[in-house]
Amino acid sequence: MSIPSKDLATTPGPTAPAKAPNQHLRRNPPIAGEAEAIEKAQAGDAASFEMLYALHKRRVYSLCLRMLGNVAEAEDLTQEAFLQLYRKIGTFRGDSAFSTWLHRLAVNVVLMHLRKKGLPQVSLEETLEPSQEDGPRKDIGARDLTLSGSVDRVTLERAIENLPPGYRLVFVLHDVEGYEHNEIAGMLECSIGNSKSQLHKARMKLRDLLKSGQRKEAVL
Amino acid sequence: MNKVRNGTTVDCAVFQDQLPSLFESGEELSTQDHLKTCENCSALVRDLEYIAQQAKLLLPIHDPSPAVWEKIQTELKKETPPAK
Repeated sequence: MSIPSKDLATTPGPTAPAKAPNQHLRRNPPIAGEAEAIEKAQAGDAASFEMLYALHKRRVYSLCLRMLGNVAEAEDLTQEAFLQLYRKIGTFRGDSAFSTWLHRLAVNVVLMHLRKKGLPQVSLEETLEPSQEDGPRKDIGARDLTLSGSVDRVTLERAIENLPPGYRLVFVLHDVEGYEHNEIAGMLECSIGNSKSQLHKARMKLRDLLKSGQRKEAVL
Repeated sequence: MNKVRNGTTVDCAVFQDQLPSLFESGEELSTQDHLKTCENCSALVRDLEYIAQQAKLLLPIHDPSPAVWEKIQTELKKETPPAK
C-alpha cells in the first residue's frame, strides 16, 4: 500500500496515548472560542466556519506546502481540505482534538492528490518485511562533516522537499507536526512499525542530503 | 569491537539496527555503551537528534494567500449547508 484510498476523515484512528504536556500543547494548543465555533459551524453558521478557517489555515497550508513544494498546488489543496471540512464538519464528534481530525482530513487530500499525480511513492508496507537492501543503510564512517549547529531553516526545508513523498509525509507528521506513530499509522493506514521505519529512513536520507549539500558548499 | 571495513564494525551494524527503537524509547542515548567507544555512531546519533530538533522549529510556514478564502467562499455559495 502506498496511498490509502479510504477517506481518512471519516475513519477515526486509534486514540493517542497520553503525551508529554509540551508535546501536546505544541500541536494542539487550547484555542479560545474554537469549541463554540465548531458547534455553530456544524449548525451552518458561516461566520463560525470562517473563524475555523482563520484558526487552522496556516497549519493546513504548511502541511500542503511541505508535501508539494509548490505554492499554487498547496493553495489548491488547502482550498479542497476546507471544502471537505465544510461538507464533513457535521460528522465531527470530538473523539479527538479538532485540529487532529482536520489534519487527518488534509493528509487524505494530499495523499489523494499525490496518487492522482502518479508521483513515485515509497511503499509504507514494504518495511513490514524489509529486505537487506531495503533496510536503513549503515553509516560507513563518513566522519568528514557533522551537521550539528550548521543547518539553517531554509536548508532543512529544501532537504525535506527532496525526500521521497512517503518518507516526507511521515517525517513532516512526526518530527515537524509532532504526531505520534500510532496516530500516523491511523492516518496512513499502515502499521506503527512501518511508521517508525519510514521515519528512521527519512532522517537518514535527510542526513545524506544535508551532508552532500555541505560537501558541495565546501568545494565551491 | 570487530573491525569489518571502512570503520564500520559488527557492533555498529547491530547498534544502528536498534536506532529506531532506541530513539522511540526516549532514553538518553549518550549512555549507550557502544557510543562511548564509537565516534562514527556518536556522530550519526548527534546528527539524527539534531535533525529532529531542527524539524520541531519549522512550524509554521505562513498563511495562504487571501485568494484561497475567496475561492472557498465562491464554492461554498454553490453548496448546501453542512451535513449534521
